[in-house]
Amino acid sequence: MNRISLLLAATAVLTIASPSALAAQPGSALLDTYHAAAMKEEPGFRDFSARRGEQFFHAKHGDTSCASCHTDNPKAGGKHAKTGKAIEPLAPVANAKRLSDAAKVEKWFKRNCNDVLQRACTAREKGDFVAWLVSVK
Amino acid sequence: MKTILVWDLPLRLFHWLFAFSFAAAWLTAESDEWLSLHAFFGYLMLGLIGFRLVWGLVGSRYARFSSFLYGPRAGLDYLRASLTGHAARHLGHNPAGSQAVYLLLGLGLLAGFSGLFVQGGEEQHGATAGAFGYVVGNLIKEGHGFLANLMLLVVFAHLAGVALESWLHKENLARSMVTGLKAAEPGTPAARPNRLIGLLLLAAVTAFGAGWFFYAWHEPVERMGGHDDAAREAPPVAFVGKTLPESALWQEECGSCHLAFHPSLLPARSWQSLLAGQDRHFRDDLGLEAATVAKLLAFAVPNSAEQHASEAAWKINRSVPADATPLRITETPYWVKKHREIAAADWKNPKVKSKANCAACHQDAEAGTYEDAAMRIPR
Ligand code: HEC
Ligand code: HEC
Ligand code: HEC
Repeated sequence: MNRISLLLAATAVLTIASPSALAAQPGSALLDTYHAAAMKEEPGFRDFSARRGEQFFHAKHGDTSCASCHTDNPKAGGKHAKTGKAIEPLAPVANAKRLSDAAKVEKWFKRNCNDVLQRACTAREKGDFVAWLVSVK
Repeated sequence: MKTILVWDLPLRLFHWLFAFSFAAAWLTAESDEWLSLHAFFGYLMLGLIGFRLVWGLVGSRYARFSSFLYGPRAGLDYLRASLTGHAARHLGHNPAGSQAVYLLLGLGLLAGFSGLFVQGGEEQHGATAGAFGYVVGNLIKEGHGFLANLMLLVVFAHLAGVALESWLHKENLARSMVTGLKAAEPGTPAARPNRLIGLLLLAAVTAFGAGWFFYAWHEPVERMGGHDDAAREAPPVAFVGKTLPESALWQEECGSCHLAFHPSLLPARSWQSLLAGQDRHFRDDLGLEAATVAKLLAFAVPNSAEQHASEAAWKINRSVPADATPLRITETPYWVKKHREIAAADWKNPKVKSKANCAACHQDAEAGTYEDAAMRIPR
């Protein structure tokens, strides 16, 4: 093999490999951050649970739950409970933009937790929820 | 020589109103902001020409087409004679002037009718709304503009001719068109004054103008001439009004819980107040950073209701009292007035849900234009 074909082969391998390498598991950086925060908040904390996350999503507080706007199915589009405005699906399998911007996720946790729970969510609640969302296939 | 009446009152009124409507339409073609006025002058001109055609058959002596039925050849011959200084004086229209009359009436008709189709195609407004789409409307617009410019050339030629004739025959033809009087040999028959018909013409023009502007006060002028109900149900093309400026940040920060209300729907002071209170936004804490708020204001304030000529912006702003700072579009008097007649059942429709769900009924809600043709209540 001469140098040029070697170079071409290497480029080809890199081109094929790089997107999958860059697109790590969605939400994994988020989960790391929440994990560290949860360790600080709860001394006995071990790991997130997708099952708890799912329960959290469906749990009713008074009349509202997260599902009031996002519907019971995270792969389906939702509708804002007060304004009727359409909301794109939450699960990354259905909507690749989700969980890709940590600041945006934090912004919406702040708003939505206030809305539904009248308080901020704990790091464990957020981590459980994200763990569940990424597990939805 | 004695002075007799040549141009009766209806003819003189027609002449000056026709000149005025053409000049006004020509000037208001300059900007889309004056489109409603432009359309008004176009309709007025068409109406006047219609009158003139009838008056050319039944009017008084010198107004009748039969009194100046000259062909283009006669017109040219007369022009040549004028230029060499020995053209005969005519009491009514001379052969060259007649060419100007026919050309101006013909071009006026063509320009007017093509205008109707431009309005119908490009804007989906007016009498021909829905006849064809934007592209054809835009093509016709080229022709419309060409005809109008050609007409302006003929106007200039007419003015030059009037000046030349006035000078050649030592009489002020323009003044005759005001007074109607001209010097004539004794025994020449005079025109009937027809004052009553002149006054009726004036009354009709005034009523048309008043009706138009009264209507425009409540309704968009563009709708004059009638949108039929079918067009309302299904706009012939998805309506795109005059586009208003957009901002990606505004869309991102203000467009996820509800549609991003265009800043042109509230006065600047309302946006300032809404953003100052973003931590108590209709019971939500938006949690925006100060830098983001500043950027949002930098878009909202220069694009607020005071700054835009779109119908919604203008009317909303005018309806809000100077000492009020509404935090809801749905509380501005204009909005309330426009939506008063919508049935309670329509508001309860799950597709609507909230008054603030503008997009449920207005297809162009995101764009902020709120054209009539884009409005449909979901059933
Ligand atoms: C009142 C309606 C409403 C409720 C209730 C609600 N959300 Fe949301 N949520 C939204 C809207 C609107 C967005 C932004 C959608 C967009 O960006 O397209 C959003 C976005 C999010 C996002 C951001 C995802 C991303 O990466 O873009 C997360 C995470 C989220 N919501 C979680 C929750 C959770 C957890 C709950 C329950 C505690 C909840 N939401 C309840 C309306 C709601
Ligand atoms: C977290 C969700 C959320 C976000 C983000 C949001 N709003 Fe709202 N907004 C609401 C709710 C809820 C209402 C009340 C809707 C209703 O009564 O139907 C509202 C109402 C409004 C209204 C009044 C609508 C009316 O009735 O005329 C305006 C104006 C408004 N918002 C502007 C903004 C602007 C500007 C932004 C961006 C800085 C923004 N909103 C971002 C939730 C939100
Ligand atoms: C339930 C359906 C519905 C909703 C929701 C709705 N509108 Fe309308 N709107 C209408 C109807 C119907 C008319 C026509 C009223 C008329 O012509 O008398 C109208 C007229 C208007 C007009 C006047 C348009 C014109 O050219 O005459 C404006 C501006 C407008 N709406 C803005 C809004 C805004 C802004 C919102 C959201 C805050 C909104 N509308 C929400 C149904 C709705």
